[in-house]
Amino acid sequence: MMSAMHTSEETKTALHAVVAEMYDKIVKGEPPTMTLPVRTKNNIGFDSKLGVYKYGKKRSTRDATSLGSAKQLLRALHVVEFIEEMIDAGKSSTLREMYYISEAWGLGKFSSQNESNNLAEDLEVVTKCMREDFKLRPEEDGARMIGNLTLRERNRRGEWMRINARDDVGDSGYGVPYNVEEEKIELLEHDINFIMAIETGGMFDRLIENGFDEDYKCGLLHLKGQPARSTRRIMKRMSEEWDLPVVVFLDGDPWSFRIFASIAYGAIKTAHISEYLATPSATYLGITADDIEAYDLPSDDLSTRDVDALKAELSDPRFADPWWQEQINMMLELGKKAEQQSLAKYGLDFVTDTYLPEKLADLGLA
Amino acid sequence: MVGTAERMASNQKQVAISEFFEKNKHFLGFDSLPRSLITAVKEAVDNSLDACEEARILPEIKIQITRLDGKKDIIELKSEDNGPGIPKKSIEKVFGQLLFGSRFHAIRQSRGQQGIGITGVVMYCQLTTGRKTHVRSKIATETSAAFVDIGLDTRKNKATKSGEGRELWELPDGTLKEHGLEITARMKAKYQRGRQSVYQYLRMTSIVNPHADITFIDPDGETHHWPRVTERLPRKVESIKPHPHGIHLGTLQRMCTESTDSRMTVFLRNNFSGVSSRAAKELLAAAEIEEKAKPKLLNADHYRALLEAFQGERMLKDKPVKLLNPPTNCLSPIKELLIKKGLSKTIDSRYVTTMTRAPTVTQGNPYQVEVGLIFGDGMAADKPVEVLRFANRVPLMYQQGGCLLTKAIESVDWRQYGLDQAGGRGVPKGPAAILVHLASTNVQFTSEAKEALADNAEVIDEVRKALLEMGRGLRKHLEKKKKMAKTQDKFELVNDIIPAIAEKAAAILDRPVPNLSGSITRIMGAVISEATTSWNKETKQTDISITLFNYTTRARSYTLLASWPEREGATMVNNEQGGRKEASGVWAWKLDTLEPGQTLTFTYSLTGLERGDWTDTDLFYRGSQEVIGASKMDEKLLEEIRRQEAIANGEDGSEDDEEASEPTTKPVAPTVADGPAKTGQQTLMGFGGDE
Repeated sequence: MMSAMHTSEETKTALHAVVAEMYDKIVKGEPPTMTLPVRTKNNIGFDSKLGVYKYGKKRSTRDATSLGSAKQLLRALHVVEFIEEMIDAGKSSTLREMYYISEAWGLGKFSSQNESNNLAEDLEVVTKCMREDFKLRPEEDGARMIGNLTLRERNRRGEWMRINARDDVGDSGYGVPYNVEEEKIELLEHDINFIMAIETGGMFDRLIENGFDEDYKCGLLHLKGQPARSTRRIMKRMSEEWDLPVVVFLDGDPWSFRIFASIAYGAIKTAHISEYLATPSATYLGITADDIEAYDLPSDDLSTRDVDALKAELSDPRFADPWWQEQINMMLELGKKAEQQSLAKYGLDFVTDTYLPEKLADLGLA
Repeated sequence: MVGTAERMASNQKQVAISEFFEKNKHFLGFDSLPRSLITAVKEAVDNSLDACEEARILPEIKIQITRLDGKKDIIELKSEDNGPGIPKKSIEKVFGQLLFGSRFHAIRQSRGQQGIGITGVVMYCQLTTGRKTHVRSKIATETSAAFVDIGLDTRKNKATKSGEGRELWELPDGTLKEHGLEITARMKAKYQRGRQSVYQYLRMTSIVNPHADITFIDPDGETHHWPRVTERLPRKVESIKPHPHGIHLGTLQRMCTESTDSRMTVFLRNNFSGVSSRAAKELLAAAEIEEKAKPKLLNADHYRALLEAFQGERMLKDKPVKLLNPPTNCLSPIKELLIKKGLSKTIDSRYVTTMTRAPTVTQGNPYQVEVGLIFGDGMAADKPVEVLRFANRVPLMYQQGGCLLTKAIESVDWRQYGLDQAGGRGVPKGPAAILVHLASTNVQFTSEAKEALADNAEVIDEVRKALLEMGRGLRKHLEKKKKMAKTQDKFELVNDIIPAIAEKAAAILDRPVPNLSGSITRIMGAVISEATTSWNKETKQTDISITLFNYTTRARSYTLLASWPEREGATMVNNEQGGRKEASGVWAWKLDTLEPGQTLTFTYSLTGLERGDWTDTDLFYRGSQEVIGASKMDEKLLEEIRRQEAIANGEDGSEDDEEASEPTTKPVAPTVADGPAKTGQQTLMGFGGDE
């Protein structure tokens, strides 16, 4: 497994290339520019070698001919300088901290947190480095995990701690840190057959209470909605390093389809690092559009936003395979969506006694 | 000797008068507790303004409202002015008799067409609190002031008085009041805030009476002050004779029977405006009345025939008789500059435009439309604009929707002028206030309540025209603002951001800071001008600094022109760049060639102005390459200005006749000013119209 991380020198060199592009343009008597891939669904394509979706060849140039984009370039320079300072000082900061630090950057200060987040991503995309290389941390925390698997994590004092995610944790499970690279986390051993990623906390807790992880020998992972990078990364590592299947159990709505796409194929916003984050072998377990009918689940009507999202998915290259096209069209036809918890219609144990075993049996996992 | 019948009629009136009041209180403005208070203030203020105007005194009016008993809604209203005062013997007449005064009969523009008068206040106080109204009056020729409590004998329609006396009227500063009137009235009423309030009424009054100084102390003890912004009193209005187009049958009949003229030709010429002796003869011919007929002896058929001739229904040789329009000097418009000042003092905003249309006539009544628009910060952007309606300088506060003035505003598609308006109809939304003033000798209201103007296609069209003209001014202003913001952005880009990028990039790469001129030229690719106009507190001058940047790759040469308030009496000083006068209010400088990347700055100052008089200098250029921040000189317009100037100079000395200097062929654009301006700003776009 190749590491996602770059050395400090590699990172600095990559960042300097961005700065040099601006500098050289000025020397040539042209407006300074920054060239970066277009980050929309129109510019992602399947990389058959990596098995994930990556940005295509489309590039856009941000040049300093308007006040807005010129300020973006200036901010980028400040961020580069800030990252270098952190690398040299051995520090890290959250994106939010960087946003506040930018208060001191005069003309180059951010006007919103969103702007600083986007710029950090821009720099990742251009330099092919990761946020972790930049010593920038997200605000979001990672997922929770429960199951008979053992890893070791390096704590703040630099010591390795051995943790079993079933025996050494409380009911809330093992908290996945923001950095799950090898320098921080090593996967040691496990006694599970597969990993199940779950969208909602309610369902995660239901499965724990019902002892599902032990009955079916699996690791449970709580995604907390759209999963953080570290959540996707650790899933990918477990899947590859332990050679475990990953099944994804979500609500049955257009937004869950997107969560699954970002887990399995790569998210549009982070397509530059899809090969580190995506788990191509992941399978969508439910709730599927046909589950709504088959299990006669309590459902809600699709909103206009839902319908628009489904229609957009039909033209999203990540959903181009027949199974997804069928699911999306079926949901559009039904005009309905259902939550994971709607399974409670048949009692608290229905999900663990009937629904999941049936679905897993289809996959040969139960 | 009073006849029996008349006495009987009089008796009937006496018995009915308080009942009449009770029955008609909604017409009289006393139908609700909040409105009663506004009406009372209005009657007092109207009287004060009218009295001051007639006595040619600059009014100082103070209104104080005190809550005496909040639970029972008992309020004391105190109104004080510096008017001529009322002689002691006339006080009871003025305050104690309904419909006193001459204004009901005179044909002229007056405030007082619109109410029952101060007597109504006295009566209302008496009916609601049983209290008399205390009046104190000081006239200049007497040493002491007279005071008296006035009530009303509703049976006899006569004043009752008590507590008469004389006293020295001492002012808070210890001096004696020279002249003035003070009314203290106690009534059942309610003080409210908002669109329909005493505050709003006084604020609006102050806008259209810029010569008045108005102070208001509200029931919470807070003092609001609207200072005087002009020393000039409104023009004295003249009475005019009725015009044949505006006369009714009954009036015509009365005029004839009361006439002592020997023959109809004389009668028509003497008693009507717009009737020449030729027209008199033609009217009579059309009506088939003998020229030498005695007016007193006409019969009903004659009246009708004459009226039909007046209206053009009876024609002479298939043509209606041509009549001259009535004179319009009987009107007293507020005038653009004063509206501007009035608006600026009550609303703090940058952009004001106003327009006074030339007086005109509808149905024999002279009228004149004035509009004003104030736009900018300090007003809510997502709410309907504030509509300020006035008739003969009196604020109209109720029935906004049914009023002609509102309908005129609603008929304009304001979206094209930069305001929000759903579907292009209705009162627009945006940070603005629109003022409409109708001055007329005969204001037609929708009802006796006199709060909304009745429909009249000609008047509405006239208001609309004025609004459209003003809207164009607003659009221009907004476009200019947008353009300026864009230019500002470019300046920030090349002056601040690009150098910062170069420095930071050089620092990170540890290389020398590169030369920026190439990048900057590529980014700008234009010649840019900038004019700053600022008030210099120390020298009491307006300083203007003009900069021209050549951000192109070629050398450029220009003649630059700037507007300046020459006609407002300003003098240009410290103009080291020299140049020459191109036309009135337009100065030109032939500039040396600007090399690529070169910048030229020159300055001059204006004296003879006050702070705020001149806040924005317009730049123009002659040359091939466009100059951002300036307009290409319109040589035809310049010709037009020179032509007008010549006309104006030729007519120097004609007093108070600014219409003469206006071109007759095209409407005059509104004058446009940023901020309160003493003399207004004459721009090339809005040339003319000023005195």
